Amino acid sequence: MTEVGDLTTGPFPIGHFVNLVRQTVKQDRLFQNQAIKGEVSQWKQYPNGHTYFTLRDNEGQMNAVIWRGKCQIDSNIKEGSEVVVIASIDLYAKQGRIQLIVEKIEPINVLGELEEALRRLKVQLRNEGIFDRPKKQLPLIPKHIAIITGTGSAALSDMNRLIENRWPGLRRTVIGVLVQGENSVQEIVRGMAVARKLATPEMALKRGEPPVDVIIIGRGGGSPEDLWAFNLEPVARAIIASQVPVISAVGHESDLMVSDMVADIRASTPSNAIERCVPDYNVIQMLLSEYYTRIDTATIRQFSDIRNRLKLLTSMLKAAPIAGITNVKMQMQRLSMRMESASQAILAKENSRLIGLQAALNTVHPQRVLERGYSMVQTESGEVLSAIDQLSIGQNIKMNFADGIADANILKINKTK
Amino acid sequence: MIIMSEEKTYSEAMQRLEEIVASLERGGKGLDETLQLYEEGAKLLKQCQEELKSAEGKLNELRLEDIEQETSQD
Repeated sequence: MTEVGDLTTGPFPIGHFVNLVRQTVKQDRLFQNQAIKGEVSQWKQYPNGHTYFTLRDNEGQMNAVIWRGKCQIDSNIKEGSEVVVIASIDLYAKQGRIQLIVEKIEPINVLGELEEALRRLKVQLRNEGIFDRPKKQLPLIPKHIAIITGTGSAALSDMNRLIENRWPGLRRTVIGVLVQGENSVQEIVRGMAVARKLATPEMALKRGEPPVDVIIIGRGGGSPEDLWAFNLEPVARAIIASQVPVISAVGHESDLMVSDMVADIRASTPSNAIERCVPDYNVIQMLLSEYYTRIDTATIRQFSDIRNRLKLLTSMLKAAPIAGITNVKMQMQRLSMRMESASQAILAKENSRLIGLQAALNTVHPQRVLERGYSMVQTESGEVLSAIDQLSIGQNIKMNFADGIADANILKINKTK
Repeated sequence: MIIMSEEKTYSEAMQRLEEIVASLERGGKGLDETLQLYEEGAKLLKQCQEELKSAEGKLNELRLEDIEQETSQD
């Protein structure tokens, strides 16, 4: 290679000169491992594994090469793709051609294309009147919620926890699906199909549980690409096909997806979906007991009103025909009161007299006497003996005590009077 | 299983309850009407209470394939 010192020795051989240029550009760090963006044209992948293309935009262009096995090439890259490359400049001295040696290539327009498809989908749905169709109302008390979300995801555990807080034991069916990646669209669509099936009376009957009356479809936050399944037509159509209200709960507040636009309710997050459709059990219970109290109180008051009205009515009726002879009525009332108190007094007196008599009778009754320690003597034939003269020696007698009779024989008689 | 829709939906029931309570609270009703309203209200409240109970149930948590199998028509 020609030394710089040779500069002064005469005209440059072109090869020397080109190599000098090559050396210069390779030394400049600006031209090495630089990120450059542009559009791909003349994309050619050769059987030997090298890929040649031109990176261009409206202002300029440069040939580029990706040596075999140098980097992963996205299969979406084709003629016209917008890409970013990490590349270094080199000069192929033999042809005097400057080219980019690509270390890494990434498409940047994949999302752009998706966004174009999204724009078309929104236009189509709008033209079909999907966004204007009436939204289905959520039931006040959901009896069977279907949740379509990622198996074992944080979003699911958030939702489950929130449900248990608000309504412990609320019936729900979780359908675990992939929510991102290639198969997610297909799985979400199949999940929706299952949920719709669970919402039919036939399936409810078969499974012995109430039909699904709310469907929640969603996932937690992620990059736009992660959430993209919820922007695709098959998912939108699956939501539209639901006969029961669908709540779309994808990502965060700021992520507005097509699923949000076609669903009956758009929840900002999965947790928000639960807040929207699961009422607080205690609040509902309180509301009911309030009604219990109000109905009871109002009815009791109503009854007492009716009773008072009846009383008033009765007294009015009573008063009306004898309004002119009030005095007579009052006299009669006074009289009847006197009569009553009089008869009460008589009765009371009679009563106490009867009680006295009873007491007196009690004291003279033979039984009462016997009870005090006396006994009554009778002949064998039952004749009461009250004098000693009525007895004779050897006579059999009966001695009556309060609690029994004894047979006795007279041994001796002493007359004292 | 109680399906209220055969009678009234929960929200319809609540709406009717509100009417009944308001009507009773306004007063001036006869005995028959009061009794009728009370009975209707009590019945609706009982229905609502049963409705709350019927929201409780199983928690099924299944992967897509499993629930697809479970719900496939025989």
